[in-house]
Amino acid sequence: MTEGLVGLEIEEREDVVVATLTGELDIAGAGATGERIGEAVPTSAQGLVVDMSRLEFIDSSGVAMLFGLARRLGSRRQELRVVAPGGEPVKRVLEIVEFNRAAPIHDDLAAALGTI
Amino acid sequence: MRELHELFDLGVKARSLAYLFLAGAGLGVLTLVFPHSDLVRDRELVILAAVATALSVVMYVLADRLKEWQLHAFLATGTVILTLANYFVEATVLYPVMYTWTALYAFYFFRLPVALAHVALIAVGYGIVMIVIEPDSAVIRWLLAVGTPLIAGLLISRLLMRLRSEGLSAEERARAVQRSEARTRLVLDSAPDAFVAIDPDGLVNSWNAASERLFGWSAAEAIGKPLRSLIFPDHEREAYDERRRILLEAPEAVKVMRVESELQRRDGSVFPAERTISRVRIGPEIVMTAFLRDIGDRRRAEREREQLVREQAARAEAERTTAMVSGMQLLVDAALRHRTLGDILDDLVVRVRSVLDADAATIFLAEDRASLVIAASSGGPAVDERPAPIPFGEYFAGRVALSQEAQLAHNPDPADIADPSMRAMEIDSLIGVPLTAEGEIAGVLTVCATAPHHFREEDLGLLRLAADRVALAISHARVYEREHRIAETLQRSLLPDKLPKLPGLDVEARYLPAAAEAEVGGDWYDVIPLARGGVGLVMGDVAGKGLAAASMVGQLRSALRAYAFENHDPSTVVEQLNRLVWAEADDSQMATLLYAVIDPAESAVRWVNAGHPAPLLVAGEAEPLFLEGGSSVPLGVLPFPTYGEVSARMDPDSTILLYTDGLVERPGEHIDQGMARLAAGVGAAPREPGPLLDHLIGALVPAAGAPDDIALLALRNMPVSDRFSAEFPTQPESLARMRELLRRWLGHAGGSPHEIAEITTACGEAATNAIEHAGVGGPFQVSGVLVEREVEITVQDYGEWRAAREGDQGRGLALMRALMDTVEVTPTPEGTTVRIRRALTG
Repeated sequence: MTEGLVGLEIEEREDVVVATLTGELDIAGAGATGERIGEAVPTSAQGLVVDMSRLEFIDSSGVAMLFGLARRLGSRRQELRVVAPGGEPVKRVLEIVEFNRAAPIHDDLAAALGTI
Repeated sequence: MRELHELFDLGVKARSLAYLFLAGAGLGVLTLVFPHSDLVRDRELVILAAVATALSVVMYVLADRLKEWQLHAFLATGTVILTLANYFVEATVLYPVMYTWTALYAFYFFRLPVALAHVALIAVGYGIVMIVIEPDSAVIRWLLAVGTPLIAGLLISRLLMRLRSEGLSAEERARAVQRSEARTRLVLDSAPDAFVAIDPDGLVNSWNAASERLFGWSAAEAIGKPLRSLIFPDHEREAYDERRRILLEAPEAVKVMRVESELQRRDGSVFPAERTISRVRIGPEIVMTAFLRDIGDRRRAEREREQLVREQAARAEAERTTAMVSGMQLLVDAALRHRTLGDILDDLVVRVRSVLDADAATIFLAEDRASLVIAASSGGPAVDERPAPIPFGEYFAGRVALSQEAQLAHNPDPADIADPSMRAMEIDSLIGVPLTAEGEIAGVLTVCATAPHHFREEDLGLLRLAADRVALAISHARVYEREHRIAETLQRSLLPDKLPKLPGLDVEARYLPAAAEAEVGGDWYDVIPLARGGVGLVMGDVAGKGLAAASMVGQLRSALRAYAFENHDPSTVVEQLNRLVWAEADDSQMATLLYAVIDPAESAVRWVNAGHPAPLLVAGEAEPLFLEGGSSVPLGVLPFPTYGEVSARMDPDSTILLYTDGLVERPGEHIDQGMARLAAGVGAAPREPGPLLDHLIGALVPAAGAPDDIALLALRNMPVSDRFSAEFPTQPESLARMRELLRRWLGHAGGSPHEIAEITTACGEAATNAIEHAGVGGPFQVSGVLVEREVEITVQDYGEWRAAREGDQGRGLALMRALMDTVEVTPTPEGTTVRIRRALTG
């Protein structure tokens, strides 16, 4: 599934939903992608992992999408984890906007899943 | 010369005698009514008159059945009655008159000897009466004096004749017969025709010399043989039997028969012959004779003559048809050679005049099915006057239009002629025919002849024929004009009127319609901006021309754009298009297509070629190179062809040229020569697409125009320099394209991957703001400049910059500030300028 240039795969693992983003996430695809991910998480799920290890680009629209997801899951008492390897441009953007105050950022998927 | 009595048949003679008897009876009655003396004896006279009247009736009724001796008997009876009447009644002057009539009758209607015998009877009767009544009468003496030698002379002459004929001896008679037969044989033998006689059993009894020559049988061989097997071939024998039977049993009337049949020679060969057959009765025997003639020569001559006549007729007909057809073909050719209806009619009117040998011709066109206007005129003197529309029914032409019937007029009144040019001529005859197209009156064609030329009724047919052609031409021209307009409009709408501006890429296109071609062609091109800064280039050629081709182009263009936007591979896109063309009901639909996707980020070009001429790539100063790979069949040829994708490097400072075959194909030349000419032309041309295409057109397209449509499309991957500038539409899709351009430029400027990513992110924030807040205004511009390892990027929009506030917008500005060394935001009433700078250290 693609919106604009961003690719999205959603996978349900036991109590956790894993959303994997690829490509470039900007204003052309952020809104719709956020909606899809939010709807893919059932209320029964413990939490959501957004895997951005293969995402090549993110801008403030993508960041806004992540903050939106964090709010939505927080209101349902569900966990949100973000995977963004250190040193990559995506991680750099998340650091600048201090996203770690909204949800933990992990270097890889296994680490993220381990915390839920 | 026939004798007098032979001119009358027995019926006439009998009826005349009946009248004579009636006249005699009438005289008797007159004598009774007006008696001249007491001697008239009523009873006897009444009986005699009644007998005469009765005989008269009998003769009249039986007139046609009487035999000659019966007629003599009647006449003799009449003479006796007259004599008895003369005896019983006192002689009057009427009796000599009656006797004279009777005698005249005999001379008139009978042979001389018989007539004389009757006269003798009269003389005897009259003499007896005279002797009995008046023995001393002078008349009797006269009668005896004249009648006796007369009768004696007659008797003696008859006797002498008898004696003479009986006087020949039997020997003499036999010799005479032999002489006669020899003469006959000589005559028959010297006759040019074969003569054959057969007896009633069908055996030959006469066979002359000509028969010997004709059939090859000698007389000795033939005589006594059945004729049937002698001269008749098997298939004629039954007919011969039948004919012989008829002749044998035939009534007297059938005496001569003329028959054409085949006969057989001794050697078995068969020939056509004419037989003249007669039936002759010799004593009790019936002999059939026939003259036989070989008519093979005559038949051959007849056949040859017939053949000659037929050939001459056929040749005359063929020549006439040829002249007519070629004349008429000129009419049709005229329609095909020109573009507009006006041109066609101008040409047609001249051709009609020459084909029909007319002195002037006018073509009127119908308007609104109510009036005629002069569309073309030829032959008459030049006239400035342009007459008003002629309502149907007025003037000669108007009446033709109204009646929809061809009309011919002799010595027409000049005031009745609508064309002022024709009106000025002294017209002998004028023909008008309606021009009917698609069942409606499309106009009227009039032609006139001036003396000594003259049109007749027969010429109407010829003109109708010409009118059919003219009407057809008009109909074609109208359909064509309509179609051409639609197709032209359609085609114009199908070719992009403005090519998209692509950052880092320069693209130009040219379309040249064929010089002499009336119909729009199926050449088309398209430039489709794709995601991530890529661009799709399309060059296609749909087979055929006109409306059908244009609508096919329309379908292909929409479909290709749809598939391309879905980010399908070029090969998938082309396979989809093939399905579309293949599914067209029209089997003849076929299209060539070249679809190339340029990826500036990867400095690559990928293409799929469906039967189209190979594109040309020229990199820097290198020799132009044809991209030959990936060639497959045209669209619409196979249901499931394989369209393989091929790629090549397309570095900055490279140009790719797409074109249709019209650019390289010349009549009578191998396409390789055209390709070589193209490569040479490109090698010598400037590298910028606009000047490149103009140079190629100047160098390769003949000044008079190309014979076929030509489409050209050139795209250049611009060399990256220290400066760049690009313009983007204010829409989210522009962001990716801008980032691609920026990455390439930053890469060229020497930025590290991290620097490139971060500067691109910052620039994206500025651009996002421009997109979100630029009003309905125009595009936003991005420009960059590299000065001593520091990049400065300016994003200029025409909207209002939103002051930093909580949320996303604030984050955008925060990102820019975090990622760049300096960020300047300059809002103005016209728009906002964001300038960001960062020194490159990687």
